[in-house]
Amino acid sequence: MSTCVCGSGLAFALCCEPILNGKPAPTAEALMRSRYAAYALGKLDHVERTATPEALEGFNRQDSERVVDESKWLGLEILRTVDGGEGDQTGQVEFVFRYSLRGQTYAQHELSTFCRKDGAWLYSSSEINPKSPPVRVTKEGRNDPCACGSGKKHKKCCGA
Amino acid sequence: MAEQRFNCTLCGQCCRGWIPLTLDDALANAGRFPLAMVWTPVRPGSRAFDLTTRLGTTVQLRNHKQVAVLIAPTAYIPPSFPCPALTADNLCGIQGDKPQRCRTMPFYPYREENDQADILVPRKGWACDTSAAAPVIYRDKTIIDREAFDREREALTAQAPSLRAYAETMLKQNAALTDYLTKAAQNPVAGHFAVNFSSYLRLNRSYDLIAFAKAQHPVLTAFANRTEKTPELADYHTYYKESAAELSWFAQRS
Repeated sequence: MSTCVCGSGLAFALCCEPILNGKPAPTAEALMRSRYAAYALGKLDHVERTATPEALEGFNRQDSERVVDESKWLGLEILRTVDGGEGDQTGQVEFVFRYSLRGQTYAQHELSTFCRKDGAWLYSSSEINPKSPPVRVTKEGRNDPCACGSGKKHKKCCGA
Repeated sequence: MAEQRFNCTLCGQCCRGWIPLTLDDALANAGRFPLAMVWTPVRPGSRAFDLTTRLGTTVQLRNHKQVAVLIAPTAYIPPSFPCPALTADNLCGIQGDKPQRCRTMPFYPYREENDQADILVPRKGWACDTSAAAPVIYRDKTIIDREAFDREREALTAQAPSLRAYAETMLKQNAALTDYLTKAAQNPVAGHFAVNFSSYLRLNRSYDLIAFAKAQHPVLTAFANRTEKTPELADYHTYYKESAAELSWFAQRS
């Protein structure tokens, strides 16, 4: 059984898979994780389905297809959540994800806001790099632990 | 009574360098002009401040000062280059559907109607006829034939909400932009910077980036090649090259 790409450590079938298949996310964090997984797995319908109409106005599908096609997703780390629980109507999730694009590794630090509509969590808006400008990550060595968080050496994992 | 005269002599000298365009004109000419979004901070003391807050947006800088920011879709052509639509005999090759900006010349609706006087003075090298033989076009700070001016101003006003939303998202997503604005606001000479035009399209659901890239990518590539060997145009060259790279994925789609 494969581990979920969102980095939760849980099996995919018990983590993001059901949400990607349309099951409502119980928390803002669960939705956020599933949206990361959707980018990593190229399931952009899920990204569109789980955004508010306002967020959707600013979502260009072709651009997202480009991002999915050109990027390699190296892992997600949740830093902090504010509300967004089962009894909440709004929530925020702060996270960092790493990806490589045209041979360069990047980390994006993002603070996303979510809200509930008709019971279901929806992505509302984001602030990217809320404190600092984009971070350029130094190249990882082949024998360093892989940035995706698997614990394996980079050369045995994403760098293979 | 203060009045100014003007007649165009078809010298072609104003058909050089940047052309601020309406969004519609920019998109319609993606296969002709290398495009950029040019951000220009305008300080509160400036006569164009109020108008710029309406046509653009307002931003709080790092030093807590507020500026108005004009965000202009621009034909980003080096000042030494003629317009790509200018023909060998110095005439406009697209006269029938040239951009609204060209139609409104010599007036400039990014400034108030009563603030046009100094723009009507021909710049160095321009052969505009401003003699007694030329018709009066501006009297007591009022434009005589205002049709083109009004039409361009209307287009700028209509597109303002969309550019404001774009600026808001860009500033939220790119902390460096506020740094650039802060720097640009301190520098009265080079007080602007160019951002990839595709950044605007990427933040809108309705734009077809593939169709845009197929028109724009070859133009950017051609301008990158034309500016490659000229050290003074290094910044332009870098801009064209990087903007083309942003579009190459889309340009290669079928």
